[in-house]
Amino acid sequence: MTHPYDVAVLGAGPAGMAAATEAARRGAKVVLLEESPAPGGQVYRAAPPGFVVPPDADRRAGDALRAALAASGAELRLGHRVWGLGGGPLVRQGEAPVPFRIDALPPDGEPVTLEARALVLCAGTHERIIPFPGWTLPGVIGLAAATILLKAQGVLPGRRVVVAGAGPLLYAVAAKLLKAGSEVAAIADLATRGEWARAMPALLARPDLLARGLAWRAALATNGVPVLQAHAVIAAEGVGAVERVRVQPISGGAAESFDCDALCIGHGLVPATEATRVFRAAHRYARESGGWVPVLDADRRVSVPLLYVAGDGGGVRGAAAAPAAGRLAALAALRDLGVLDGRAHARARRRPALEQWRAAQAGQAMARMMALRPALVDAIAPETVVCRCEGVTRAEIETALDDGATEMNQLKQFTRCGMGPCQGRLCGEAAAELVARRVGGRERAGFATGRLPLRPVPMEAVLGEFDYADIPVPAPAPL
Amino acid sequence: MAFDVAIVGAGVMGCSTALHLARAGMRVALLDRGAICREASGVNAGTLTMQMTRAALIPYALRAHEMWLRMAEWCDGGHVLAVACPGLSVAFTEREAAMLEERAKARRAAGAPIELISGGQAMEIEPGLSDRVLLAGHCPIDGFTSAYLTGRAFRPALLNAGVALFENRAVWGVDREAGRFVLETETGPLQAKRIVLAGGVWLEEMAGWLGVRLPIKVLINQLVVTERIRPVMRTVLGVASGLLSLKQYANGTVLIGGGWQGIGDRQRGGLAVRAENFRGNVRLAAHTIPALRDARVVRAWLGLEAETADALPAIGPIPGVDNAWIIGSVHSGYTSGPYFGKLLAQAVAGEAPEMPLFPIDRLLAMEAA
Amino acid sequence: MDARAARTILSVVRASMRIAGVERPTEVAFSFAGQELRAPVGESLAAALIVAGVRRLGEGPGSPRAAFCMMGTCQQCLLRVDGRLAQACITPVRAGMVVTEA
Ligand SMILES: Cc1cc2nc3c(=O)[nH]c(=O)nc-3n(C[C@H](O)[C@H](O)[C@H](O)COP(=O)(O)OP(=O)(O)OC[C@H]3O[C@@H](n4cnc5c(N)ncnc54)[C@H](O)[C@@H]3O)c2cc1C
Ligand SMILES: Cc1cc2nc3c(=O)[nH]c(=O)nc-3n(C[C@H](O)[C@H](O)[C@H](O)COP(=O)(O)OP(=O)(O)OC[C@H]3O[C@@H](n4cnc5c(N)ncnc54)[C@H](O)[C@@H]3O)c2cc1C
Ligand code: FES
Repeated sequence: MTHPYDVAVLGAGPAGMAAATEAARRGAKVVLLEESPAPGGQVYRAAPPGFVVPPDADRRAGDALRAALAASGAELRLGHRVWGLGGGPLVRQGEAPVPFRIDALPPDGEPVTLEARALVLCAGTHERIIPFPGWTLPGVIGLAAATILLKAQGVLPGRRVVVAGAGPLLYAVAAKLLKAGSEVAAIADLATRGEWARAMPALLARPDLLARGLAWRAALATNGVPVLQAHAVIAAEGVGAVERVRVQPISGGAAESFDCDALCIGHGLVPATEATRVFRAAHRYARESGGWVPVLDADRRVSVPLLYVAGDGGGVRGAAAAPAAGRLAALAALRDLGVLDGRAHARARRRPALEQWRAAQAGQAMARMMALRPALVDAIAPETVVCRCEGVTRAEIETALDDGATEMNQLKQFTRCGMGPCQGRLCGEAAAELVARRVGGRERAGFATGRLPLRPVPMEAVLGEFDYADIPVPAPAPL
Repeated sequence: MAFDVAIVGAGVMGCSTALHLARAGMRVALLDRGAICREASGVNAGTLTMQMTRAALIPYALRAHEMWLRMAEWCDGGHVLAVACPGLSVAFTEREAAMLEERAKARRAAGAPIELISGGQAMEIEPGLSDRVLLAGHCPIDGFTSAYLTGRAFRPALLNAGVALFENRAVWGVDREAGRFVLETETGPLQAKRIVLAGGVWLEEMAGWLGVRLPIKVLINQLVVTERIRPVMRTVLGVASGLLSLKQYANGTVLIGGGWQGIGDRQRGGLAVRAENFRGNVRLAAHTIPALRDARVVRAWLGLEAETADALPAIGPIPGVDNAWIIGSVHSGYTSGPYFGKLLAQAVAGEAPEMPLFPIDRLLAMEAA
Repeated sequence: MDARAARTILSVVRASMRIAGVERPTEVAFSFAGQELRAPVGESLAAALIVAGVRRLGEGPGSPRAAFCMMGTCQQCLLRVDGRLAQACITPVRAGMVVTEA
């Protein structure tokens, strides 16, 4: 193991890139770990090597962050999937905290373990999906997933596509589909016109984003795409793959059917809190920020010393707010490590603090629209599979609740819901809402205890080559 | 109004004791500071094994094995997907072979039908086994459960039997007033004529409530589970040293355990796996069943297991305190748990238990010395 | 229409699933479940399979498996690539890779 880094950053999205850049520029020894082959994160995801995608606003913003990162002197560990975390406060009772430990799997080869005195978590979000009949049909993909397919791979999810769910990604995806030559059968937006109208004042703070949104909508109107406001997908149907989608006003009424070969659907974004849960940090439930979030101070400090969260992993605020948050976290880390004194820190944080605040206003308005909608959970049919990895239906979850399960870990034990390889990322939101209904809220329903690995790890990679004699088998138990 | 008995701790020991006492006609309160069977009894490896059980406990474990397999019959349909299958304990080195011989002999003497077989014979019983096994202990009576179902299995039966189950009600201390116990709990006092302490690794603190000093060691046991894979094994596997337990469930997941240690403590629970122990444990597993190389690890977790100074159970009356009892600290305590609860219930109800208990006087004497 | 003509038409249609205006590296051959497919080297396997019209990637406990999140979290795209388990959405296409169901 090498000498500990001053700062390790997990995740090279806009938050992580900015955090690593800021810390390295100020002379700290920094390592940035990212599982993708290039920095960028979700919004600014780079196309694979050898692909040239026509530049757009996102590409340019991403390139600027990438260029600054490259010039900063931070060590980049790309293609490194972080699966293990330890150290910090995770020591025996009474022992002083130790440096953080980060276990990662490089693209090919031996696993690596790094140590760092401070750790900035920038793991972003994953998409929320509230199940409905047919959601598991091939051809149904996430809405955020569609952005990756379209922007980073240049591939259409289908030739005639229904786009559904909540938030601005709906219109981004639909506009992109049209431009790329796909047909958009319909947009089913859960938000009412009133919700969009209420979001307007906050969006006015970001005229660039607002203009882009209006352009998307104009394109949809020109192409005669039906935009159904306050509508939900009630079923995806087809033999072997999606062939049509049924859509209904959320207030009830007649359903409409749209033929299609793909459905892109997402019900908002959920902050990735796996790492903060592993460190047993304090969390709070913040519906309008996407769900459970770590408790943070104004400088992105978590309740655990020398641990920080920046970007959407601390609550959904969007790409524009992420870099400033990353810089704040890096500055706080340098302050806490003693690299910056109080005055220098106060001076340095002023601009990113203001920037973050500004960008977060628009981000918050969008996050609100993407917040969990309880009506969708109410509508889940008893026979619909909620946990896809383990094949657990709503009816099975309800029976477990009848049998006395009162929080998420217990529901998991009673049903295996969330025990599969996605580790509850796909089913967690729907399942938690079902528990919350019985026990009086998400706070009581709680969340699954943070455990390793953060991502499934191939045994092969952990094992490496070994001799039996190398295995440190402990002393046997008494006879 | 006072309960006939208050049982503190709703793990397998507390649940079984409560169920049997309620069925014997007592008014039982069962309290846990969390949910039922969320500690050791809900997170353990579920191995129903004779080859890891301490020799002195084999007669108990054999009876308990039977109870687990027939759980639905005595637990109102509740069950933990118990599976009976052969168990193999293998040796890869001469040293381990010697250990295996000694251990198998002692366990056989205690009643476990363990025979020693060659590596080749072991491969006939377990085709997935490594060809590097020198010697194996074969026990036709072995098996496993899905331990995470334990709370769900016990809960309806407890309620049917009339047990007053208080989950999420921590007990902070105990007073004695007019021949009764008054439990100080999170939501107010609770009175009972008798008390049973069934607090797993927290027994040390609980014994302290009654002025008894009983040191309990805390083991932080690690478990690792793979995602669903094709069938790669059909027995319960261990190694001679006892530091491996390996089985594949019907759903295809493979559970890897054996008692490798992680970081944690009584106050904070199981906190973190040690990277070297994680690796060591899975290497030992893959060395034993080579096809595991192909799997992915989905999760690793830690649970807390209790151990007394002589690593034998603490089950019996609490010396010097009338009507107070203790149950816990059993090696491979999940295997024997339901039977130990039944035995203690017999004693608490004033009958002679059908098998001897493990009174703690010996431990208190050791502590005093 | 004979099978070959049908295949030609299909491949034209499929080609259109790759958005025009994106410069891509040369196409290479790989196989999925014994079927020969082609895709630009480096494209994600999940994307390449969508273009090839392959959506169903296996059978899960309660439903078919198919790529869903495209970002490595849902695990629904698990396949076996050259004998090893791999998530299609984060596995780049390489020449000659042999892909089967997990
Ligand atoms: C698919 C998708 C599309 C989105 N599109 C938009 C959009 O158009 N506009 C917008 O404002 N917001 C969008 N969002 C919201 C998005 O979360 C943020 O706007 C922005 O990307 C947040 O930046 P971040 O740095 O917090 O996280 P991200 O950009 O999500 O970056 C997190 C990074 O961490 C890496 N990572 C996570 N876990 C590990 C691990 N264990 N090991 C190694 N690396 C890891 C990921 O690979 C990723 O690169 C989108 C979200 C998603 C999921
Ligand atoms: C990871 C692991 C793997 C294992 N594998 C096996 C195996 O394969 N086979 C086997 O036979 N055995 C195994 N064991 C051992 C077995 O799990 C235990 O011996 C057994 O479950 C102990 O049961 P218990 O009821 O005594 O304790 P527990 O199940 O720990 O129950 C004690 C209860 O007391 C409660 N409590 C604590 N303090 C208070 C308080 N102040 N007020 C109220 N309630 C309180 C706790 O919340 C808890 O529910 C394993 C143990 C672990 C940890
Ligand atoms: S599509 Fe979700 S992990 Fe690959």
